[in-house]
Amino acid sequence: MAPTHGHGALSLGPFPLLLTDLVDLSGHRIVFVGGKGGVGKTTVAAALAVVIADRDRRCLVVSTDPAHSLGDIFGRTIGDTETTLAPNLVGLEIDPDAEAERHIGTVKQQMKLLVHPRLYAEVDRQLDLARSAPGAIEAALLERVAELMGTAGDPFDLVIFDTAPSGHTVRLLSLPEVMSAWIDGLLRHREHSTRLGSMLRHLGGGRAKGDDLSLLSKPEDHAAGSLEARLKALLHARRRKFVVARERLLETATTAFLLVVNPDRLSILESRKVVDTLDRFDVSVSALVVNRVLPDEGDTPTQDEFLAARRAQESIYRREIEAVFAQLPRIVVPLQALDVHGLATLRDVGRLLVE
Amino acid sequence: MSSSRLETVLELLQEFYISPYRGAVARARRDEDDLFMLFVFAELMGVPNPATYYTLELQPLLLDRFHEWHRRMGMEHSPLDHFRCC
Repeated sequence: MAPTHGHGALSLGPFPLLLTDLVDLSGHRIVFVGGKGGVGKTTVAAALAVVIADRDRRCLVVSTDPAHSLGDIFGRTIGDTETTLAPNLVGLEIDPDAEAERHIGTVKQQMKLLVHPRLYAEVDRQLDLARSAPGAIEAALLERVAELMGTAGDPFDLVIFDTAPSGHTVRLLSLPEVMSAWIDGLLRHREHSTRLGSMLRHLGGGRAKGDDLSLLSKPEDHAAGSLEARLKALLHARRRKFVVARERLLETATTAFLLVVNPDRLSILESRKVVDTLDRFDVSVSALVVNRVLPDEGDTPTQDEFLAARRAQESIYRREIEAVFAQLPRIVVPLQALDVHGLATLRDVGRLLVE
Repeated sequence: MSSSRLETVLELLQEFYISPYRGAVARARRDEDDLFMLFVFAELMGVPNPATYYTLELQPLLLDRFHEWHRRMGMEHSPLDHFRCC
């Protein structure tokens, strides 16, 4: 991808648009870059980050895709620590495993304060299982994203998230709403229990032995800060995090969502689904980046020069593939002029594989 | 009848009428709390829980009630293979 002025990455139709026409980059604090796998999300995120940093604005570019390629595009090792890539430019590749490990570690510590030391090994075993439970990695990722959204404004002027392929992004953006509904449910149950408890007191409960059957409300709880209050405090703290994350996502004045799309059928189909789903969660797409557009007639470089340059680059990589994967047998399939779509074209490509 | 004996009779009468309600409310509350425990420990019981990651942080607070709860749920021993409280 080599965007040049006036055409290429950001031009659409007869009126070339620039990202700055659509997204107020001085007002925005958070930019999410999403799209189907392989459309060039990382390239767009990284390129935007570099340009922003060049304008003397402190920029953090974060990769949330577990298969990170942000470091690769900068030719640097980044990893799970904030790494300075250029003046004003910091990169970060979130490691959700490490984040989940931290969360579970905190819970382990709290549990160990409560159980007999001979059970420590069992606490560890049980909680390590929870770490591999479905959703844990996702939740850990969201936790970190929400926390990083909080750095937008201070110390960073702009935080750019290079997200994982579409489905994953949509899930990430919808989690705060889904999870805060879930926590609301838990809180409602606690409130109901509290109301029943106060009814019970009015009926003279607690006077007769064995009257108050509640598991979560025992006389000793009232001595050392009631368990009920601590449960509610934890739930409220958790809920607040979701609410803040969700509010940030919905603030169109400060949060922009860029959808990267390629001019091909599968990319369009998937992007439409993303727009629809985001819409259901009231997240609107600020701008579409149509990436990997071929040069028009009359453009410089000319179509011939363009093809020659691509071929020259490709031949370097073909030699690299031969060197890196020397021990693997290789099958070569040429780029098709038209979309592979439907049985007939699939059969054509299939023949290239087997004949 | 002395006033203290009258008070005792009134108290007994009140107790007679109120205690069934009190029992019902206490049971409702216990059921509510049992359900809450189930939400928090669901995953450990093999019930998929969409929010395990978040309920996990409630578990330390509820750990000392866990034994009583699983006993009442009809499980003589802890349902967790590795996590034995009894």
